Amino acid sequence: MQNMRHIWFLAAKDLTIFVRDRASLFFFIVFPFLFIILFNFLLRGVGSEDSRLELHFATREPEGGLSHLILAGMETKDESLLAPGEPKIVREKDYAAARLAVEGGKLGGFIAFPENFTRALASGEPLELEVFADAGRAELRTALGGVARSLAAELAANQVVIRASVALLTESGIIPADEPSIAAAVRQMMGKITPAGGGSSLISFKVEKVGEVKETNPSDYVVPGYLVMFVFFAAAVSAEMIVRERQNHTLERLLATSVGRSSILGGMFLGLVIKGLIQITIFWVVGILAFRVDLGHSPLGVVILSVLMVLLSSAFAVMLATLVRTQRSAASLAVITSLVLAPLGGCWWPSFLYPLWLQNIAKISPHAWATSGFNKLMLFGANLGDVVPEVVALACFAAIFAVVAIWRFRTSAV
Amino acid sequence: MADDFVIVRDLHRSFNGFKAVDGVSFTIARGEIFGLLGPNGAGKTTTIRILATVLRPDSGEVIIGGHSATKDPQAVRRIIGVCPQELALYEDLSALENLVFFGRMVGLSGGEAKEQAMANLRLMGLEERAKGKVAKFSGGMKRRINFAIALMGHPELLFLDEPTVGIDPQSRNHIYENIVALKEKGMTVLYTTHYMEEADRLCRRVAVMDGGRIIAMDTPYGLKSRIGDPAKVTLEDVFLHLTGRSLRD
Repeated sequence: MQNMRHIWFLAAKDLTIFVRDRASLFFFIVFPFLFIILFNFLLRGVGSEDSRLELHFATREPEGGLSHLILAGMETKDESLLAPGEPKIVREKDYAAARLAVEGGKLGGFIAFPENFTRALASGEPLELEVFADAGRAELRTALGGVARSLAAELAANQVVIRASVALLTESGIIPADEPSIAAAVRQMMGKITPAGGGSSLISFKVEKVGEVKETNPSDYVVPGYLVMFVFFAAAVSAEMIVRERQNHTLERLLATSVGRSSILGGMFLGLVIKGLIQITIFWVVGILAFRVDLGHSPLGVVILSVLMVLLSSAFAVMLATLVRTQRSAASLAVITSLVLAPLGGCWWPSFLYPLWLQNIAKISPHAWATSGFNKLMLFGANLGDVVPEVVALACFAAIFAVVAIWRFRTSAV
Repeated sequence: MADDFVIVRDLHRSFNGFKAVDGVSFTIARGEIFGLLGPNGAGKTTTIRILATVLRPDSGEVIIGGHSATKDPQAVRRIIGVCPQELALYEDLSALENLVFFGRMVGLSGGEAKEQAMANLRLMGLEERAKGKVAKFSGGMKRRINFAIALMGHPELLFLDEPTVGIDPQSRNHIYENIVALKEKGMTVLYTTHYMEEADRLCRRVAVMDGGRIIAMDTPYGLKSRIGDPAKVTLEDVFLHLTGRSLRD
């Protein structure tokens, strides 16, 4: 009981000193929100809309061929009339120029109609659409391949109808059996299939919505990222205050009273934990009210991750204080560790954007586990059960830091 | 002696091979003011830190008020007060808050701590500055606060490690008068100082330390008698005679 009272008096003393230090209050509470406002502004709109897919087409056929008629019909004349998700069809005027554009990296790829398109369509010769795409643009290549296959299937079906119609018309003598007459008839039939003025019947799009697409609020990853960074940073910097206790000889004075070492350590830790809890409360309240942060399906999971972050940061601060001898080295190490671990752990931008090898390296930092947990809960709709690995990892970090701190404090000289 | 409140026997303590305390033995009777004198680096502060249970000795025995400082340090801590050589204060807290905090740490209730804190501040002439932030106090005022904290909880034994070092004559005199008052009340005090005149007037007995050892121990009168006429010789003469005139680090 006496120990608990000592722990509380020590923590209350630290909190009193903290509250009176206006610079510390600014650094702990206001400063993080300046970062959040800045990064919210910078990241506004990122991921809020889908960029429209552009499909480029060209033809190798001479002017006057049916493919020109088809492309004129397919080409998107007015982008504003396109439905959400519908791709924009761009007609490349010159096949050679389009190839050069792909080779030069200016164009991802295109579909080209062959030189013999009209003749093949009328005579039933094999029809081969050409897909020319940048080898590095795998997604576009796949999309173009898919469109080309659909187009070829549709053309093949129309080819059968046209051939049968042409045969019937020539046999019945309605049109002459010479090539110009047959071509004119085919053009007329294709004109019915691909009406001029947009809206291709050769390619149709079906847009299926899976869930409601809503604009991503950058605060949903900016606020937890900076919470992780500043909770850790603020606690780590407090290690300097603990070292100051030793250098100011107040620690020695405390040790000469009936206060045990464990109580002193407990008091320092409790003071840091209370400060951290105040900090995360302010973070979330301001985040929800001012930045409209969505805590996702499991607010309890968010709370658990936040509290664990406070506990491990406080334990880290005490551990750091027991490992260094001077205030300067404590402050330097606190700044260095915080500024290395924060970006590595995805506090400045989402770590799921990192390459896999960097994501694996980042797992050495508690920040990565914490931000991963917050992102799962707040961006990807996960539940508490989905963040158990993150919860366990953060608890392990806290336990390791605490064990080292206790061992060092018990064995180190005053 | 049966009335010895402090018993120190063959105390040793080294730091990285350097013998800071090398076989120190002495006793302090209840109600006695015992002076520990010596040049810088003589081992006085290390001895006090061991007696205050902040530091463990390599060997030797310390008994305070019947309790072993090594085997039962908590019992010793309950009956001692320490005024360290350095200013061990929270500069961001007020004078009153400093005293109340350390009062709570020695086990006083909130009311008792505040009452004793105000009484001690009055004793130190700082009652009107009770709510002033310590950071804004002069060196002399901080020394008096440092001393006042050591009195919280009414300790039976007081360690005063150079309590008057580096302050103005007024503050020094004030602290000195308070020690005289404590002497009259019968408090046991272990006192270190570089001011020989203070030691001469305050201490019943004095031990002179050098190189981690006690090289002489007697009453001020007895020490002065060793080198001449006690009426003409000062304790400083004795000190210089015993420790030499060469400069110390």
